[in-house]
Amino acid sequence: MFRKADDNALWAIGISLVLFFIGGILTTVVPPLVDTTWAKPFENRDPAKGITGKVTSLTDLQKKGRAIYVREGCWYCHTQQVRTLLADTKRYGWRGVDAPISTPDEFVFDDPHMFGTKRTGPDLARIGGKYDEQWHRTHFRNPRDLVKGSIMPPYPWIVGDPAEFKAVVAYMQSLGRGKDWRPANDYEK
Amino acid sequence: MQPQFSRAEVAKVPEGALVHEDSTAKWFLVSSVTYFFIVGIIALIIAAKFVWPDLMGTMSWLSYGRLRPLHVNGMLFGWLLAADMGLAFYIIPRLCGVPLWSEKLGLATAILWNIIILGAVVTLLAGLNQGWEYAELPWYLDILVVVAWIMFGVNIFLTVAQRKHQAMYVTIWYTMGCILWTAFVYLTGNFATLFTTGTNQANLNWMYVHNAVGLIFTPIGLAIAYYFIPRSSNTPLHSHKLSMVGFWSLAFVYVWTGAHHMLHGPISQWLQTIAIAFSLMLLIPVWAVVYNLFATMKGQWHQLRESVPLKFLMSGVVFYLLTCFQGPMHSLRTVNAIVSKTDWIPGHAHMAVLGCFSFFAIAGTYFVVPKIWGRVLHSESLANWSYWMLMIGGLGFYTTLWLGGFWQGWQWNNWSIPFIDTVIALRPIWLVRFFSGVMMFIGIVMFAYNILATVTGANEEAAA
Repeated sequence: MFRKADDNALWAIGISLVLFFIGGILTTVVPPLVDTTWAKPFENRDPAKGITGKVTSLTDLQKKGRAIYVREGCWYCHTQQVRTLLADTKRYGWRGVDAPISTPDEFVFDDPHMFGTKRTGPDLARIGGKYDEQWHRTHFRNPRDLVKGSIMPPYPWIVGDPAEFKAVVAYMQSLGRGKDWRPANDYEK
Repeated sequence: MQPQFSRAEVAKVPEGALVHEDSTAKWFLVSSVTYFFIVGIIALIIAAKFVWPDLMGTMSWLSYGRLRPLHVNGMLFGWLLAADMGLAFYIIPRLCGVPLWSEKLGLATAILWNIIILGAVVTLLAGLNQGWEYAELPWYLDILVVVAWIMFGVNIFLTVAQRKHQAMYVTIWYTMGCILWTAFVYLTGNFATLFTTGTNQANLNWMYVHNAVGLIFTPIGLAIAYYFIPRSSNTPLHSHKLSMVGFWSLAFVYVWTGAHHMLHGPISQWLQTIAIAFSLMLLIPVWAVVYNLFATMKGQWHQLRESVPLKFLMSGVVFYLLTCFQGPMHSLRTVNAIVSKTDWIPGHAHMAVLGCFSFFAIAGTYFVVPKIWGRVLHSESLANWSYWMLMIGGLGFYTTLWLGGFWQGWQWNNWSIPFIDTVIALRPIWLVRFFSGVMMFIGIVMFAYNILATVTGANEEAAA
């Protein structure tokens, strides 16, 4: 079969594509059909079944903030996924409560997805409600004023535009809130 | 039926028997070398920003988040893929024993490619970013990429269809495979993603990102290595059979592994396990290729002393082996828990793209440019220096990031260490990375200058 591909270009093309499509289809088209949680938004009202909450699509303001997050490439340095690693749940917890692990059903409305690949800065999957608006204002203006040793770039053009700043903060405060993980609902505004 | 084309013939395809116009190859090579230099400046700026975060920090279009995608897209598509295409336009007609099907179409492809790259510079700096890694370019540029790729594919395939030699050398399969797979991989990463969200979209995105390296740069890179290693050492390829094993196992195995970019992440466990299993199987095509190329050089290693292209080629093969050993190892859950998301990963990625595939493309360019312009290389010693700068700078870059990334991963796994302390700890690593980057950039400047001086005929002018 493969010998024939030495001399016959059409044959070579045919086999290359068939071999490619076996894995291609089984790993792209099939998984979302098999695993339905990829497309079903998280919702749980029964505390007995674990953490409660409901994932909804973003408001217009949050969407605008999200677009800025995409535009400025925040996602190159910040992931949005609490992985199935103890260290992740501990590190990205808050005030003694571990962060819940991220599950596919929390990201159904994410487009583009913002899982990210690199943590030059900390993960932001559960950042929503950890810091208040004033903190974010100071931090965006110059991160080193609040976090000594930070290498995050300053974003004066976001802070300088009240509409943009409000949108970004609205987006960030929404992150990870589909799962209502704070026991006393002690989210910052 | 036998692989008539494998042995002595590769080394002794008579040149000059057929006059090749090569104008398409020329345009692709000149523009890619120019982008290599320009994007190298961007690379230095973003490396500097890790050490001096306020550098150029108040202008939105010079901020890290805008320059990083320009660096990545510029190096991948402006330099590397364009250089690879230029070399394919040189190699394929020669292996087929016929002129390129259409130089006019080829020139149009080169022009369109340059329009895309310039468009990418403008849109990325303006923050018009789609939000997917490697697929940042806005949809209108994506469409132009598809058009350019079809033009490239048509030209290559019709050249192959007209070939004089019935048997196709391994370089031809890899080039054809690259063209076909890239088409589908690119469509998945840039268009199929438009109709999905969340984890489903991430899965498609990772299929694309992984296979951009695995089924775009790997096959075209290996096509180049398989051609230029026998060619520039005047040695026949060791084994035709092994090259078949390498090619067909690559065709089958590579595409399964995308999900290993989301190990421990919000994606089905069984899909992660499949990706891990197939990642380990990658060792088969890799070892088949590496063994074959090493065995080709058996008894010929002394030639590396005299030949700059061979230096680049064989170092590239070593880096290919290292990269492709690291990849499967990263995909083991225990190792992944340490290195994933750390600075190890850019160390790994740069070894693949610069250490391996760019080294192949540089070697090809050094080999081809004097031939197609009919001039001697401007300076052999400068070429030699460019090798050592890229080699030592590159090694400094990769190894410091591996050390730093591993260290960072250990620190992250100890949650009593505040995140910011893990950032501060990496400052010396980033400083060494910056200076290694400076060395690499000097190597790029030497390479680009040498090539452009050869092209413009600086030697002849000096003699006159």
